[in-house]
Amino acid sequence: MTVGGVPLAAALAEYRPDAEIGPLPTPVDSDALLSTYHPDYLRGSVVTLAVGANAGGSCQRDLAELLQAEAFIDEADLAGIPVTDVDVLVVGGGGAGCAAALTAAEAGARVLLATKLRLGDSNTVMAEGGIQAAIEPEDSIQKHIQDTLRGGHHAGDPELVARMAEDGPDVLRWLIDLGMQFELTPNGDLRTRRGGGTSASRLVFCRDYTGLEMMRVLRESVTLHHNIEVWEQSPAVELLSNECGLACVGAVLASLVDGGLRIVRTRSVVLATGGLGRLHLNGFATSNHLGATGDGLVLAYRIGARLCELDSFQYHPTGLVFPSHLAGKLVTEGVRAAGALLLNGLGSRFVDELQPRDVVCAAILRECQEGRGIHIDDRRVGVWLDTPRLEQAEPGLLERQFPNLMSRTRGSGVDPRVQPLLVHPTLHYQNGGVVIDLDGASSVPGLFAVGEVAGGIHGRNRIMGNALLEIISFGRRAGRAATTTHDRGPKKVTVEHLNHMRRALTLAGLPMTRRTPMILPAYARGTPCTR
Amino acid sequence: MHPVAAQNPQVLLHPECRVGADMGRWRRTGGGKALVQAVRDPAGVRNQVREAGLRGLGGSGFPAWRKWDAVAAEAANPDKYLIINGNEDEPGTFKDRLLLEETPHQVIEGAVATAVAIGANRIVFYVNPDLLRPLASMKIAIEQWRTSDLLVLAAEALARPLNLTLLPGSGHYIGGEETAAMEWVEGRFPFPRGKPPFPAQSGVMGCPTLINNVETLAQVPHIVVKGAEWFRALGKAPGAGTKLYSLSGDVLHPGVFELPMGTSLRELIFTHGGGLLSGKPLKAVFTGGPSSTLLTPADLDVAMDFDSLRARGSSLGTGAMIVVSEGTGIVKRVAEYERFFAHSSCGQCPSCKTGTKTMSRLLDRIDTGRGTDADLALLKNLCALLPDTGRCHLVNGAALLLDSAFRHFHDEFVQALVKSPQGRNPGGVEWR
Repeated sequence: MTVGGVPLAAALAEYRPDAEIGPLPTPVDSDALLSTYHPDYLRGSVVTLAVGANAGGSCQRDLAELLQAEAFIDEADLAGIPVTDVDVLVVGGGGAGCAAALTAAEAGARVLLATKLRLGDSNTVMAEGGIQAAIEPEDSIQKHIQDTLRGGHHAGDPELVARMAEDGPDVLRWLIDLGMQFELTPNGDLRTRRGGGTSASRLVFCRDYTGLEMMRVLRESVTLHHNIEVWEQSPAVELLSNECGLACVGAVLASLVDGGLRIVRTRSVVLATGGLGRLHLNGFATSNHLGATGDGLVLAYRIGARLCELDSFQYHPTGLVFPSHLAGKLVTEGVRAAGALLLNGLGSRFVDELQPRDVVCAAILRECQEGRGIHIDDRRVGVWLDTPRLEQAEPGLLERQFPNLMSRTRGSGVDPRVQPLLVHPTLHYQNGGVVIDLDGASSVPGLFAVGEVAGGIHGRNRIMGNALLEIISFGRRAGRAATTTHDRGPKKVTVEHLNHMRRALTLAGLPMTRRTPMILPAYARGTPCTR
Repeated sequence: MHPVAAQNPQVLLHPECRVGADMGRWRRTGGGKALVQAVRDPAGVRNQVREAGLRGLGGSGFPAWRKWDAVAAEAANPDKYLIINGNEDEPGTFKDRLLLEETPHQVIEGAVATAVAIGANRIVFYVNPDLLRPLASMKIAIEQWRTSDLLVLAAEALARPLNLTLLPGSGHYIGGEETAAMEWVEGRFPFPRGKPPFPAQSGVMGCPTLINNVETLAQVPHIVVKGAEWFRALGKAPGAGTKLYSLSGDVLHPGVFELPMGTSLRELIFTHGGGLLSGKPLKAVFTGGPSSTLLTPADLDVAMDFDSLRARGSSLGTGAMIVVSEGTGIVKRVAEYERFFAHSSCGQCPSCKTGTKTMSRLLDRIDTGRGTDADLALLKNLCALLPDTGRCHLVNGAALLLDSAFRHFHDEFVQALVKSPQGRNPGGVEWR
């Protein structure tokens, strides 16, 4: 983070919600803005992978260190461990994992859902804005596809995007059947609003806690389903392969409670482990929950799955900087959609607030780096999100439309109705991930990936509301496909793929001192995670 | 795969032999000479093979000439068969597929020269059906032979047509047993037969039959051309010739290595295999083949030939060496092998059918932390009880491996047993 800027006290003293705002400066070329200020383009933050399915490809430095590392498990650790046999193992207890587990269980499979923390401890519950689905008369599936591809700078896989967009209306129907509530119009239709970077009003929402509401119904359905067993506090520490190390046939789970290991043998494994915000790439704060440490990417890569867009991450423009205990927490894009402006330390606008997230983010970073930010200390700097002006224009709006934001800031000494919020980009989403096909299957037989851990849909930038759609759309697809994988011959469960990786690491001269996956960030490691 | 080191004697894997199914290229570099010599003096081939001390390289280590002479002494009734055994299904063995794919003409020449030497008029190349590329390569090569002057030459020497057949096997492990292979050639499920009668007297369709491994017959042309003396000198006495070692497991460079017969395990692993992965210490080596056993670090300097290893209570088998490093669970590995044996048992002999299944089940129990002292005692009993109770060697192999594991790693089995009277492994995890 850079030094300099307007001190917080001075900026606060200067701030007037009714001050005259100058016109927006002429917009600069967004490509130039991105390549100069976006963290993905930071010099030295991207390295080339030396081993594995993506050898030769570029990857974010901190992530590469995790991907090219030694495993926790050795073959000896598997001796004498209890074995559980199920049809489908779902790793991850967020929205994608629950959707996959429910669909697989409905198809008759015995499902085990293992989650690192508790069921529902995920980024799904933090999704505020809504879920995209082309349901309005003036909207179309085609527009949804185009918006998604354009938002992702045309790096997304059109086939995957098309499937997701087509699933949209059906996903809403499925969620409503599960009991999910959405905002309705006075006529009783689903109410929509327009998200950043989209060409139509397409965002279906439940106040500003859409994800929480979604997780509520998913969690209830999973808990009650007789075919699904849930193991909490049981992170996967390694996948298991067949005797050649070329297919996934299970996983090793550890217990966060006592450190014990457990082997799960399955016909297929669905990875739904989410993203990696807690790696704090490039030193950024994150909006992600505690368990988002990129475990799924590490496990998938080690067993030979191909990954994509490993150097592209989404930084949400408006993460709180102050008060400190809320650092990194999101202020939903809905606030900007409702008309809140972004102001720099000099009290002037510097970007069109409804540009795609990566552009707004780069613009904020530019203000901070060029000394026009609001400066608390060397690690904390940001710009104003002008919520008082919004409140002034329409009193009561914040309380009515953003109860989540209000309850979060209540008692923190910062009232968004009278004081602007200090915001800075926060590490939000992993754009890439495991390469999947239309069924969510990875390049390794028996291994599926859904949700944030999967890649290929969002290209190099995700637009608002597509994450919630993706987890359900592909969660259901993978859940269905995972049950149809056929079982053949005597099942041999090995960690042979680790030998492939160790061989490659040795030949590439890379150190094998670090053991991954991370499981929990260092600052949260109070209990033994493995041995 | 790591390239074969150049300073080693390369006979079977010499670049001149590795031409694939390209007969023209193979003839230009001296291919076919051995057959011409064999046609001139069929009995001389048998003598040379005897003097060279060629052994069955498919796992038995039985002197090749004994079977040859036995078959040669029989009269054709009405035919005489030569089966080239390429079933190669043992864990960790992957040498024959390399020969079949990359040197098909060398294999065929060896087979035809042998057929001339013993008077066989029907040659069956019996190949594992899962080896698609070797099968494709052999198919082309055999077509080239059918229109070749070499085959005419051989037929003249035999005074009757010489028939070459490529037969994909059954895909069963047990199909590699010699009498089982004959059953399959006759069109039935590969159940091993009782002996006697031995194949040399009554094999396929009651005809005298010789069955040899791919690697054994691939050596024949070289012995015929360069002589028995040369061949013996290649090996490290008492071993003769070269051997293809299939190295796999926790080594840096797994692969097939052609080394003098009698090379030490240390040289194979550390010089050619690049040492152990992650620099871990060696724990054990599983020798692959019909009777796989365990070697330990104490055996690192033993010469890997049939006699030296037999003296150590182990066997060379097919020359497969599956290296396991410290950090590998022997119980789990052995349990996997026994599961393989149980799955592979053809079910003909009750002792094998139930014996291998029981061993596998007990080992699974121990491996998954549910085994008791009684289970271990039962396993030891079975080890003593089962050998030589079946028609073929499968049940012996299963018992031998377990016996070998008990001899070297008994403590690990004891450690994996349930300790507490509640029947729960205290090292395990209490779930929910």
